[in-house]
Amino acid sequence: MSKAKLGVAMFIVSEVNFFLLLIVAYAFYHAYPGAGPTAADSLDVPRTAAFSVLLFSSSATMWMAGRCYQREGQRGVAVWLILTILLGGAFLLGQIYEYIELYSHGVTFSRNMFGTTFFTLTGFHGIHVFVGLTAIAIVAWLVLLGEMKEKERHVQAFEAVSLYWHFVDAVWVVIFTLVYLWAFL
Amino acid sequence: MSQAVAPEAVAALPVAESHEGLLAWVTTVDHKKLGILYFISSFSFFVIGGIEALVMRVQLAAPGLHIVSPDMFNQLFTMHGTTMIFLVVVPMLLGFMTYLVPLMIGARDMAFPRLNAMSFWTQALGGILLYFSFAAGGAPNAGWFAYAPLSEHAYTSLLGVDYWAIGLAAIGIGTLAAGLNFIVTVITLRAPGMRMSQVPLFVWMSFINSWLILLAMPIINASIVLLVADRFLYSNIFNPSGGGSAMLWQHFFWGFGHPEVYIMILPAFGIISEIVPVFSRKPIYGYEFVAGSTLAIAFLSFTVWAHHMFAVGMGHYWDAVFAACTMLIAVPTGIKIFNWIATMWGGQLRLKTAMLFAIAFLVTFTIGGLTGVAFGVVPIDWQLTDTYFVVAHFHFTVFGGAAFAMFGGFYYWFPKMSGRMLSERIGRWQFWLTVIGFYLTFFVQHFLGMMGMPRRVFTYPDLPGWATLNLISTFGAFMLAAGVLLLVWNIYVSRLNGERAGDDPWDGWTLEWLTTSPPPEENFDRVPPIRGRRPLWDLKHPDRTDAVLDKAGL
Amino acid sequence: MLGIATLNPLSPQAHSISSLFVGILFFLFAIFLLVTSLITIIVLRFRERPDGGEPRPVFGSRVIEITWTAIPFLSLVIIFFFMVRTMHAADPPPGDRKPDIDIVGHQWWWEADYLQSGVMAANEIHIPVDTPILVQVDSADVIHDFWVPELARKVDAVPGHPNHLWLQADQPGEYLGACAEFCGQEHAWMRIKVIAQSKEDFDAWQRAQLSVPATPADGEAGQGAKLFVADTCVNCHTIVGTPGNQRIGPDLTHIASRTTLGAGAAENTQENLYRWLKDPDSIKPQSHMPNFQLSDADAHALTAYLETLK
Repeated sequence: MSKAKLGVAMFIVSEVNFFLLLIVAYAFYHAYPGAGPTAADSLDVPRTAAFSVLLFSSSATMWMAGRCYQREGQRGVAVWLILTILLGGAFLLGQIYEYIELYSHGVTFSRNMFGTTFFTLTGFHGIHVFVGLTAIAIVAWLVLLGEMKEKERHVQAFEAVSLYWHFVDAVWVVIFTLVYLWAFL
Repeated sequence: MSQAVAPEAVAALPVAESHEGLLAWVTTVDHKKLGILYFISSFSFFVIGGIEALVMRVQLAAPGLHIVSPDMFNQLFTMHGTTMIFLVVVPMLLGFMTYLVPLMIGARDMAFPRLNAMSFWTQALGGILLYFSFAAGGAPNAGWFAYAPLSEHAYTSLLGVDYWAIGLAAIGIGTLAAGLNFIVTVITLRAPGMRMSQVPLFVWMSFINSWLILLAMPIINASIVLLVADRFLYSNIFNPSGGGSAMLWQHFFWGFGHPEVYIMILPAFGIISEIVPVFSRKPIYGYEFVAGSTLAIAFLSFTVWAHHMFAVGMGHYWDAVFAACTMLIAVPTGIKIFNWIATMWGGQLRLKTAMLFAIAFLVTFTIGGLTGVAFGVVPIDWQLTDTYFVVAHFHFTVFGGAAFAMFGGFYYWFPKMSGRMLSERIGRWQFWLTVIGFYLTFFVQHFLGMMGMPRRVFTYPDLPGWATLNLISTFGAFMLAAGVLLLVWNIYVSRLNGERAGDDPWDGWTLEWLTTSPPPEENFDRVPPIRGRRPLWDLKHPDRTDAVLDKAGL
Repeated sequence: MLGIATLNPLSPQAHSISSLFVGILFFLFAIFLLVTSLITIIVLRFRERPDGGEPRPVFGSRVIEITWTAIPFLSLVIIFFFMVRTMHAADPPPGDRKPDIDIVGHQWWWEADYLQSGVMAANEIHIPVDTPILVQVDSADVIHDFWVPELARKVDAVPGHPNHLWLQADQPGEYLGACAEFCGQEHAWMRIKVIAQSKEDFDAWQRAQLSVPATPADGEAGQGAKLFVADTCVNCHTIVGTPGNQRIGPDLTHIASRTTLGAGAAENTQENLYRWLKDPDSIKPQSHMPNFQLSDADAHALTAYLETLK
């Protein structure tokens, strides 16, 4: 495994623990809720599910970009990367829209435990999505500038960013299940 | 005969511009310079943390004194604890790791040299941010573990706790990056032939330690995020009056806090594992068991956290579960002590200062470990937790353990880093002053705890014996400070006038002694093929390599 | 052992802990002795000699490793069983029994509500001797810890999470304790005194505590009684028989019957009471009692009044 990929893998291990703690906080207060809005009565699950599909698709497009790079070098790679960014960006926009709606209905950060833990957990995920999109954008830009020609050496950058992006998606699988689906348990 | 091999090149970087003087140090990505920077910053914080301790000990020298106000005292003990843990012990150990790990595995540098630099600077600047709080309305004063709801807005509204939180977050990110860096370095940059089962024990302990860092730091980062959210955004995660749980903070904090104490000791175990064999002239006894027990400790360290919470009221069932895990973790720690003793048995002991500190470590850390076992017995904890018995326990393990090991490490590796030997004469004075000062300061505190003195008190009632023991402790603290100053003096006089060290002043067996003192920027021209755990022994005794000796069934 | 509170048990609960503690101390000391003796022998016997030569390299022995893993492990298993037994003896489950006293930690004093009789005490807790008293331990603000080492384990007072404690004394007497969880500025002066009395004396004390003191009408004390209301003391303190019924500060109905002021910060004398009123920070710096900038005359009047509240 290349150093870059191993480095990102290690970073992911640490991030797993970070999210684990936020998940525990969410789960704890889901089990012992106070008064106020809950997941079940505040969240629009079908709509978020739709946006989630966009995010998961971006993992597929990212994978396609990697395959393109391995096989043909440069052509098509940039397209797949830009598609990934668009899909991921759409997800983020959907999340921002969701936040605005929740706030307009009085579900704010400090409203109650649900509010705090929901916004913290999904918010940090959103920050990770944003960071990932930035990294992918940088790779796409380098590809367009023709700076990623030495496949042997530069594939490391691809692998690292790719791994990170898949991780971000995997975290969303967990969060979506825990927050949106489990709300009805 | 021996085919030397050029070490693997670090990932291609443009050739660094060569800078002179201060700029060279500020812009360096060289692991050796960064290691020394870690030593300089952590030692500076050590002196500051030490002064905080001395002021507290003066306040406690007699009952009813008014040297400092209660609030200032609370800032002092909060800053002393936070400083010593996050800005002294961990970074000083990182200094040893940063300097030595690449050398010991025959590499040119760490896997990510620029990340390495980021780790150092984030830690140092995070420390400065933390200390800025003194000028910004007051340092944090809720204790180094900032229990909620005392640390929440309602009870601590000044910015001190916020500086604590954000300063620690910055420091934590740097440390996390360092852990990541060491893992990738040890996995990918070992000299050809060096299997994981053959790395020097210091490298192994650093490697395992890096996993602890990787897994524990995110826990405190997440906890701090939630606390800052409570304080700035008025949520109530840890605020019982708003429906939150004070106990949740404790679970979260100690989920980090317990692995953290192993982060503070594993590299020290590594230092001892290097010094004891070389100064006993025998290979380490039971390498596999010393290495394996480290792995056991690392796993178990994530299962014992709530032994800090036996008085909180979790119920006997959970108390007992955590007690069992705590007792379990004592076993692999004991195994190490026995192995080190067995290494010394039958040896030819060279009682240089480095070895003296290693021996002091063995006795002192054993005492600290044994009082730790006492705490694992729940009813005993019910009496002694939150008293001076705890203060004694953790100073025995952290100071008598990690600090003694690091003092030994300085005497052992200063020659490699500077090309000069530290004075053995001053070293012996430093040793005795430090050890006697230490025991005077902290041994009596076991009794104060048993007699009923709680911790974190700015003064105490004039009960029989309390004043005397506190006075002895204060006296010892000043003696200890004198000992530490002697080390500074030793470094100062030896740096330019000490006896020249040469490549291998101790007749060592690990790769750092193969190169010059100090090493050149690229560390090695060539490294020999690695066929055992003591590459230099094999090189110096080609007819009696470890493989040969081991096969002879010894 | 006298002078060492945790080894001077004066209740069945403390006794069970102390016995275990002594046993463990012997065990730990034995290990310490073993380790230190070995090291001493080694340092004396295996010092480098000029004619020493090279020591025989020994890489390890699986049998020895297993032995010195197994023996500590088994010892700890045995200790575990003794531990569980002691936990039960020192802290038996309350079952369905209702608490007798509700002790609430405040910054920085202990409120004690006697749930059956209705007595409200502060910092000094009277109990009848030789009787297991079930205490509920709560907090009104931050985490505190109730600890009287000669009588019982310590237990945290956690806001939102009531705990229980068994309080029992073998003999009549005064038992000293302290808050044992850092709780802010005056954590050091949140001391506890448990006073165990014979059944008769305890009942007499309760009756005295329940009596409503007459509010003096004239003299310095009478002036003080008026000031207690006029100077807003009632906003924090309760004195039964006056408009004051808050529990921000300790109940003062029988303040003159207590032995200390400020939860142990000073002896309860007339002089100290005057000093406290004039300048609380001189006795318990940074406590929540404000400095009312009382004139000497007013402070004397209030002192005189409080002194009547036996």
